[in-house]
Amino acid sequence: MRSTTRRFVLMMAAAFGAALAGGPATAAGYPERPIELIVPWGPGGGADQLARLLSKLMEPMLGQGMPVVNVPGGTGATGMAKLLAAPADGYSMAVYIADSHALLAGKNPRWSMKDITPVAVMIKGPSFIFVKQDSPFKTWADFAKAAKANPGKLKVATLGFGSVDDFSLTVLDHAGIKVVQVPFAKPSERYVSILGGHADALYEQAGDVAQFISGKQMRPILLFGKKRLAAFKDVPASYELGYKVALPQFRSIVVRAGTPPEIVKKLSDAFAKVATMPEYKKFLADQYGDPNSFEDASKAPAFVQEQLDDMKKTVAGK
Amino acid sequence: MTHILLQLGQGFLDCLTPMNMLMLFIGIVIGLLIGVLPGLTLVMGVALALPFTYRMDVTASIVLLSAMYVSGTYGGAFTAILFRIPGEPIDVPMLWDGYTMGRKGQPAKALGWTLVAALGGGLLSAVIMVVLTQPLAVFALRFSSPEYFAVLLFGLSSVVALGRGSLANALISLCAGLLIACVGTDETYGAYRFTFGSRILADGIEFLVVMVGAYGVGEVLSRLETGFATKPIDKISNARTELPTLREIAALKSMFLRASVLGNIIGLIPGAGATIASFVSYGLEAQFGKRRREMGTGVPEGIVAPQAAATASVGGALVPLLALGIPGSGATAIILGAFMLHGIQPGPQVLATSAHIVYAVFASIFLGLALMCVIGYFAIRPLVKILDLPEAVVSAYVLILCFIGALSIRNDVTDLWLMIGFGVIGYFFERLKFPIAPLVLGVILGPLAESSFMNAMISYGNDWTVFFTRPISGTIMAFTVVILLLPFVQHWRARRVAAA
Repeated sequence: MRSTTRRFVLMMAAAFGAALAGGPATAAGYPERPIELIVPWGPGGGADQLARLLSKLMEPMLGQGMPVVNVPGGTGATGMAKLLAAPADGYSMAVYIADSHALLAGKNPRWSMKDITPVAVMIKGPSFIFVKQDSPFKTWADFAKAAKANPGKLKVATLGFGSVDDFSLTVLDHAGIKVVQVPFAKPSERYVSILGGHADALYEQAGDVAQFISGKQMRPILLFGKKRLAAFKDVPASYELGYKVALPQFRSIVVRAGTPPEIVKKLSDAFAKVATMPEYKKFLADQYGDPNSFEDASKAPAFVQEQLDDMKKTVAGK
Repeated sequence: MTHILLQLGQGFLDCLTPMNMLMLFIGIVIGLLIGVLPGLTLVMGVALALPFTYRMDVTASIVLLSAMYVSGTYGGAFTAILFRIPGEPIDVPMLWDGYTMGRKGQPAKALGWTLVAALGGGLLSAVIMVVLTQPLAVFALRFSSPEYFAVLLFGLSSVVALGRGSLANALISLCAGLLIACVGTDETYGAYRFTFGSRILADGIEFLVVMVGAYGVGEVLSRLETGFATKPIDKISNARTELPTLREIAALKSMFLRASVLGNIIGLIPGAGATIASFVSYGLEAQFGKRRREMGTGVPEGIVAPQAAATASVGGALVPLLALGIPGSGATAIILGAFMLHGIQPGPQVLATSAHIVYAVFASIFLGLALMCVIGYFAIRPLVKILDLPEAVVSAYVLILCFIGALSIRNDVTDLWLMIGFGVIGYFFERLKFPIAPLVLGVILGPLAESSFMNAMISYGNDWTVFFTRPISGTIMAFTVVILLLPFVQHWRARRVAAA
């Protein structure tokens, strides 16, 4: 506990010092004061866990604190508004994930790609359709057959309408697999709906339900992606079956557009170092993330843009 | 049974290492502080503590987090009873009888009752949790959207009991609360409602802002009006920590049992937690309890029912987490995270593979409750002394607490203006004899009820009969109907008697 107090005092002292020094932040001495890491979600979720791990691993590297600030609300929009209201000096960053990104594919998005500069993509993981362990649907073929025989009868639990989950189900819908989408914003309700037999299937990332997979309570029947995953080699990938959709969950770090390129480079290099650390690799493996998830500042913007294009394609096909 | 006792005994031994006891102590103290601060919710507190557990061993870290969880359901009672600021939404029902009892000159006694209630409810629930882990876990899985909605509607219907003066005023207040809850982005379809193009309104109005404003700020405004001349409570500084006598407790034993079992069950339900437990338990007591007519006038029943249920919900919430790997509440979601960080995945296999850790957690709940009450006992006296200070000084600090609380929710200054606005509304409600409780109840439970209603409709093809045909939800709905009809039946009877 003491180290937090000390860190806090140092942080305050540093902030005070910066205020006295005044003037715009220069890239040369960056970072001169703590860097705020905004998590546009509540504490405890996947984005929050990533932020807290990054904050812990980055601090010794940058020589400055990296306090995590949770600003939940509006599928990430509230936290993004906070980021975009701060100066573009590299002292505010935000965790930016696929679910918030999906808002840009919708109507009247509150920010656009022009407002942000992705610094690094930290984790990419495919999504799956899961069923309960003792579900009558042994394979995806069983499920697809039942859905075609009874259109609009099978229930799939998702995060909500207008989310990445929704886009992926839309593609299935076009392929004739018509299901009822039941939106559960709270993860616990989403998982109970499967385990208690209230819904037939669940759209989720493997890392979020790892405890149910290893506990033999749920099993995946379909992966959304181009290739199968080594951990689930019997589970077909959507592209094999002709569903052209692979919207992985990704979690990236963004700063406001207009941040000096040297600062972006410095941050990106630090994240690159984190990505090679064993502690981070273990986190990635626990989350069933792609081992080659990391993209630095030179590639991250293209990746994030590509994701948006893919989402827009599925929406347009609606 | 002996098997369980043996393992529990081993769990106690595991807990009694110096490191674990230290964590237990730290967890309890931090949990109490979190409970006291209105803006720092239990979930946020537990999340903030999680990074400190990275380097601890698994038992110590789980002990720390679950101790915070247990005591976090108790700390807020202090500020609710002494200053009328509910530290957590759990503590709103504590204002009705707890604060009233305090104002009648017995703040130490009111705090004594919360202590006994937290201890009793917590222990009973812990026993239930240890003995019935498996069957309870299976029961928890039977809850889905229709059941959530039924429970929430039951909670909302307790408003009938809260509108002491006038049922009409209570209903108006409730509807105002539900309307405030509508502001923002609709959770299911993402439509904007009553946002007037404002960014902060698009995110909705946080119930904490309403709660802290209407109660905390509203109370300070009322006192300002009288020039801080409320008659001081006699000889508070001489007040001893007053625990209720054994006879008084024995008189309420069936109530303790009722509140604890109810709290435990509501804790079990994923998506409902201590807050709903506390409201529903109070509502149930006010409707069907022995002294239902005196509820709200500062009777111990009104303190014990919500507090016992709130603390009991912790035991309930831990069951699905440990037995199925489902986090039933925000705080248990983070405890799940702590387990996973240490490579343990709670679920059906955990009782077989890591039973010693599970039982150490069980044991830590028992020890935590005991330690919490010892700390609480010694804290009551110095805390009550605060009421000896001039009222204007106390009120200044109350305002500071309110501002810190409202700001820390979203780190947004607009929330402070909203809180002041609700403070003014709370003040006028008080003046015009509109109860504030239904307003707050509507704001807290409204959005939850709405989303579970929408989900049930989507899930069951817009068939509203599911609420009545599913066994659990049907039973709860029947209770709700009785509650809603009761006042009319009583009214009709009274008229017939008068006519005869």
